[in-house]
Amino acid sequence: MRKLVLLLALTAALVFVGAALAVETYGGPRYWNPGDSAASSWQSGWTRNSFNKAASGYETTVTFIDNVSYSWHATIRNRDTVTYTNWWSSQVKKAHCMANTGYHWGGCHAS
Amino acid sequence: MAASVIAAGVLVGAVVAGGFDWSRSADELDAALVEARPTRVADIPAADGLPERGVFAQVTSTGQFCLSDAPIDAPLMGGGGCNSVDDPLGESAISASLAFEGGPAIETVSDARLIGVAASGVSSVRVLMSDGSSRTVKLKRARVGSDELRVFGYRIRKSDLKKGVGPVAIVAYDSGGAEIGRQTTGIG
Repeated sequence: MRKLVLLLALTAALVFVGAALAVETYGGPRYWNPGDSAASSWQSGWTRNSFNKAASGYETTVTFIDNVSYSWHATIRNRDTVTYTNWWSSQVKKAHCMANTGYHWGGCHAS
Repeated sequence: MAASVIAAGVLVGAVVAGGFDWSRSADELDAALVEARPTRVADIPAADGLPERGVFAQVTSTGQFCLSDAPIDAPLMGGGGCNSVDDPLGESAISASLAFEGGPAIETVSDARLIGVAASGVSSVRVLMSDGSSRTVKLKRARVGSDELRVFGYRIRKSDLKKGVGPVAIVAYDSGGAEIGRQTTGIG
């Protein structure tokens, strides 16, 4: 059982690395005002979503939105330099990011 | 109370060489997070039929201290935030991430959690809710390099979510009960 868990973790890590190699910037890099948002295209392959900022202290949210219920998944909100999430689902989805506060530089990335 | 230790010192060389360019290095940080060993520093207990989760800390070769909320058996599959390893709290007494599933309307949120780190001088942390009530959060000790921090994981009660009640701020207090840090948050 332990070996199976390790194998699954290794497989997931390798998939993760592969996905990380194909990062798409869907918002910015630009200057963000409070309430600004951006979204990627619809794809089933998105698993990771991040909002990278030039500095900490600005609240941002990242999430995935599915194309059936339009519900939010694996949402993260914080004021760290990097706000990131992972959602491992085969559903068609788009990555979405939002600046809850401003005014700051940053960019949103999906892979 | 045993303290978790996140080894930052061994990565200092890589930190200096790597750095973090916010405008272009999403792929670099993603790869660095896969390489960095996650240390479980706190727990989010099972409740309301939802499974236990872990709070994991990582120090990356890009010079970031990252704290994530993830399944116990899959620490790389969660989400959270990263700050410079030299300033893990982001120039504040407390740094927290709100994670939730469902929404954005609060009544449709099926699970909501708070994780975070606080300065060593923080004696207690409370979550302020949208109905004016507050909840106490348990703190644990963790060490990042030479910094001693407090860490926490907290799950919002499902009964609160069903009533449309969610977190609006996380507040840190010193031993005298004085507020020394506050972070606003919210669902939606």
